[in-house]
Amino acid sequence: MSDQTSSSHRPKPPQFSRAGQSALVEARGQIDSGPARRRQSNRLPTGGLIERAQTLTFTFDGQLYAGHPGDTLASAMLANGVHLVGRSFKYHRPRGILTAGPEEPNALVELREGARREPNTRATTAELYDGLIAASQNRWPSLRCDLMAINSLFAPIMSAGFYYKTFMWPAAFWEKVYEPMIRRAAGLGRAAGDADPDTYEKANLHCDVLVIGGGAAGLMAALAAGRTGLRVVLCEQDFRLGGRLIADNRVLNDRSSADWVAQMAAELAALPDVRILLRSTVFGVYDHGTYAALERVNDHVAVPPEYEPRQRLWRIHARRCVLAAGAIERPLVFGDNDRPGVMLAGAVRTYLNRYAVAPGRRAVVFSTSDETAATVSDLARAGIAIAAVIDARGTVPPGIEVAARVAGARLIAGGAIVRALGRARVRAVAVRTATGATEQIGCDLVCVCGGWTPSIHLASHLGGRPVWNDRLAAFIPAGLPDGMAVAGAANGQLALADALAAGAAVGLEAAHQCGASGQPAEVPATDGESTVNTALWRVRSARGKAFVDLQNDVTDEDVALAGHEGFRAVEHLKRYTTLGMATDQGKTSNITGLALMAEFTAKPIAQTGSTTFRPPFTPVAIGALAGSHRGKEFRPSRLPPSHSWACQRGAHFVEAGQWLRAQFFPQPGETDWLSSHNREVRTVRSRVGLCDVSTLGKIDVQGADAAEFLDRVYTSSWKALAIGKARYGLMLREDGMVLDDGTIARLAAGRYVVTTTTANAAKVLAHMELCAQWLWPELDVQLSSVTDTWAQFALAGPLARHVLSKVVDGQHAISDAAFPYLAAGQLTVMGGLPARLFRISYSGELAYEIAVPAGYGETVWRHMMESGREFGIEPYGTEALGSMRIEKGHVAGNEINGQTTARDLGLGRMLSGAKDFVGRAMAQRPGLMAADRPRLVGLKPVNRQDRLRAGAHFIRADAKPSGREDEGYMTSVAFSPTLDHWVGLGLLVRGPERHGERVHACDPVRGGNVAVEVCHPVFYDPAGERLRG
Amino acid sequence: MANIDQPFLSALAGAAAAGGRYGRHSTWPGVVVSEIREAGLAVVTARKGHRGDLIAAVRSGFGVDLPATPRRVVGEEIAFVWVGPDQWLAAQHPAPKDGMEARLAPLVGLAALVDQSHGRTLLALTGPRVRDALAKGVPIDLHPRAFRPGDAASTLIAHIPVHLWQVDDRPSYEFAIARSLAQSFWQWLMAAAAEWGVQFADG
Repeated sequence: MSDQTSSSHRPKPPQFSRAGQSALVEARGQIDSGPARRRQSNRLPTGGLIERAQTLTFTFDGQLYAGHPGDTLASAMLANGVHLVGRSFKYHRPRGILTAGPEEPNALVELREGARREPNTRATTAELYDGLIAASQNRWPSLRCDLMAINSLFAPIMSAGFYYKTFMWPAAFWEKVYEPMIRRAAGLGRAAGDADPDTYEKANLHCDVLVIGGGAAGLMAALAAGRTGLRVVLCEQDFRLGGRLIADNRVLNDRSSADWVAQMAAELAALPDVRILLRSTVFGVYDHGTYAALERVNDHVAVPPEYEPRQRLWRIHARRCVLAAGAIERPLVFGDNDRPGVMLAGAVRTYLNRYAVAPGRRAVVFSTSDETAATVSDLARAGIAIAAVIDARGTVPPGIEVAARVAGARLIAGGAIVRALGRARVRAVAVRTATGATEQIGCDLVCVCGGWTPSIHLASHLGGRPVWNDRLAAFIPAGLPDGMAVAGAANGQLALADALAAGAAVGLEAAHQCGASGQPAEVPATDGESTVNTALWRVRSARGKAFVDLQNDVTDEDVALAGHEGFRAVEHLKRYTTLGMATDQGKTSNITGLALMAEFTAKPIAQTGSTTFRPPFTPVAIGALAGSHRGKEFRPSRLPPSHSWACQRGAHFVEAGQWLRAQFFPQPGETDWLSSHNREVRTVRSRVGLCDVSTLGKIDVQGADAAEFLDRVYTSSWKALAIGKARYGLMLREDGMVLDDGTIARLAAGRYVVTTTTANAAKVLAHMELCAQWLWPELDVQLSSVTDTWAQFALAGPLARHVLSKVVDGQHAISDAAFPYLAAGQLTVMGGLPARLFRISYSGELAYEIAVPAGYGETVWRHMMESGREFGIEPYGTEALGSMRIEKGHVAGNEINGQTTARDLGLGRMLSGAKDFVGRAMAQRPGLMAADRPRLVGLKPVNRQDRLRAGAHFIRADAKPSGREDEGYMTSVAFSPTLDHWVGLGLLVRGPERHGERVHACDPVRGGNVAVEVCHPVFYDPAGERLRG
Repeated sequence: MANIDQPFLSALAGAAAAGGRYGRHSTWPGVVVSEIREAGLAVVTARKGHRGDLIAAVRSGFGVDLPATPRRVVGEEIAFVWVGPDQWLAAQHPAPKDGMEARLAPLVGLAALVDQSHGRTLLALTGPRVRDALAKGVPIDLHPRAFRPGDAASTLIAHIPVHLWQVDDRPSYEFAIARSLAQSFWQWLMAAAAEWGVQFADG
């Protein structure tokens, strides 16, 4: 069947971790010499969908065992007579294997070793592979001798709410003592702790009809829809199609159900637009026909083949969906019903028929369902002695009587198991007969069936409330997500004939709704069956602990206690008892819990209601949700044009939004960032430096109304800006706070290019688009981001013009007179390359920003570095850039933080009084005009050796440090090599009035208060003489 | 003046080597990628109230009707891709000698023209597994019944904004990616297509 899979099983030599390998090599000798192979003592001689010709070896708790391809870890363990798999969550009781599917509450193991170790893996779904290594969990020192089982002795007092009631006092102890202690004692497996060495990926899949579940109903639905030619995706969580058809021994059209499945699979695989995803669990339903599925691409091999992921997360977009998820069998609640060897009857049939494994030698069947006939027949055919067939119902249907008689089994009608005896394995059951007498019956296997619960989870993910069905004693789906229909056992159609017919009809209906036409598929004839069941929610006067939720160790008494203590709502019951809150989400226990709650509160189940179903249906590894977005690929990185040059130069990089920017360029002998930074600042201040500022946002603004538009979005007036000129501009939000700053250059009539800060580029463009499209659609203005289009480099320092003259083509005059401060122009460089030149300065030095088409960026950068060599040019990074702007008192993101007004930042003069602009009215609110708002100041340490720290809060020199006395905080700091001490910018109450005052900059977190002097924010060249001339 | 024979550097320089093979080695790589180097690109945005005039001018100047839905149309040596309401990406390869804004001069006054030749990296993708590889990032449906030659889309791949269009039904696709994000896109593509093997055939 592997040819239908999306990613077929590729045999590969097994690879083991070193520790596991030695154990396996050592033990494999036993296998090859025979005894281990014979250890599959519970493997039936014939039958089953396993490849007997090939033997796989695996270890469980260090012991070597053998199995076959087609086995799960659980079936292989049972084949080897291993029933004891783990210890329970709270009481550390021995636990075995209850089910044969993803609903398993007990058989959780740690799979694999080292960085690949996965805790809480269900042995019932883990596909066996050669070299598999599994370990039991939640036991110490060993599975057989678990010292924490002492918890069981205290079980009488460890009822629901025990922890909350007991570990109350003193309060501080909860976090420090009680919780860590409880967590060590309880809990499940251990996470690997190391980074996962495997890869995961995400992918999209589109289809007309998504069929969830490859059992009887799902196969018919996929066939009916697929034959119409539509695009159909069939997701099956198992590694084999068929569902109950390969677990039960049924007859369809006079052939075995397994053969019929193989024929269906072949026909589906032949349809060109039908895609079958095996090992793929649809775990979530989302709006607009979106479904999430997890494909375990390579969980069934030791190590994924190179270039292949371990798991793939599918986002499936489907016009229609057929939910054919089947049903989950319910256990029965009686004393010590958790003993290894107590198994669901349907699971026992699965192990017998699909895996050719006898889970015991002497069985007792305890059931409330007519399906018992099939269980008895299958057990008898496998040669398993049947000690008793106990039907809780007073009247037993003839089918069961006949089956019991044929099997030579004693039938006990109206009886019940009150207690299972044995610890690590059931050895007998105490049975109460219809007369009330109690007797013990020896057995090593108890097959229980309390009916079936439709798997309605996915139908309820979008909030649909299921409705109670008395006949089925179960909820069935209602309020379905748009586009979803339900077929088969998931819809309460438990009989095979009904499921097949429903699948065919619903599949064809889904196809019709997609506009396709087709004929109804022929529904195969089936052998007869009865699925009648009479619910028995618990055995009364059971002895020992009667578990409802096995994984979270919740008993019927816990549910009763919750009822006594006044918990009436099911959601409260769930949270108080933790029923249904384990990794299995109560798949085998929720309905029973609700029914008991209804019993204890004397309400019908329909009124008790059901808890909410949420994704995921089964646990999903976080790695699968992350896909390839890990580490450096967590999000994309934007690389500026000089990036590869900076890499070669050994630059340190810093993330600025998505951009990777050069932070500083260390030279030999420089041991820390500060020394590199100091040199870079001194170079710019004394000679010339080059910095890649391509990351600043650049927006091309065109149109007849471009100037009018800019007038409205910026605070100052632009209509007077001449062609060939640039100016600094400020932009407010609607609420009056500063949004961003930048430069606006006029390139031509009706054409401007504006810059934004690196961080705000996208936000500013979105804001301007909103203004253009929504506020003033009448304006003729067109916006276009050109951030990526132009490489832009800042050339700064007293020798900048000398370098520039060697770059710009000779015909362009760049003297101070021809190209003064704030000039902007289009010219050519390097013999004809188009360029834009702006004489603007962020550093306060004579400076230019030169822009060239980005593809030429690195070429021009190298040329400028070469041209500047004779002038001592050096590249400078964001650290030097930032320090120089602080020396100059320029505000940046630390000051334009969304809470500051233009007036706060000392930019009040930029608010034009002659026109309207976005944010103007709101900026005049009294609160924003208040005299005592924190406003921008400069700060320097009184003791010039002191280091300043951003984030320190200002306290008056004569005040005691406290939150009450807070007068603002330090927004930016830098070490100024120019002044040879630290300088800072900050927002201080009434700051501009307090120049010369000394305050404390308090930094309790990092320790230390520094006395600082308040000063004008411009530390360097306050007259601005250096940038002119 | 410096000698500048090859000034225009690919954004993939250093990441993708011409003729390079990536991922699983196979005789027939599942995905073949090439960069369309030095294409001319420009964003054409209709001026307020001039959409009709613009459509007429494109029809007379370039022999093609501007699409009003996400489509790509090919005119006389130039193609137009719808990228938004009243907005198109004009593409010509090789780039016109005097630049795209000069090439589109007949549209001056009717549209804002912004040269983007250096703002985008253009990649051509084809190969027998190209759809499977793209499914790992492209959220839209590229099935031949849903997306045909001439269809275009603007979408996000691994958080990277792209314009893409289908050229033919081999199938071949072209992607326009912001230049600064080209290497991140490349890394995504190599991860997505690695299981079938990739060949980079420099364009």
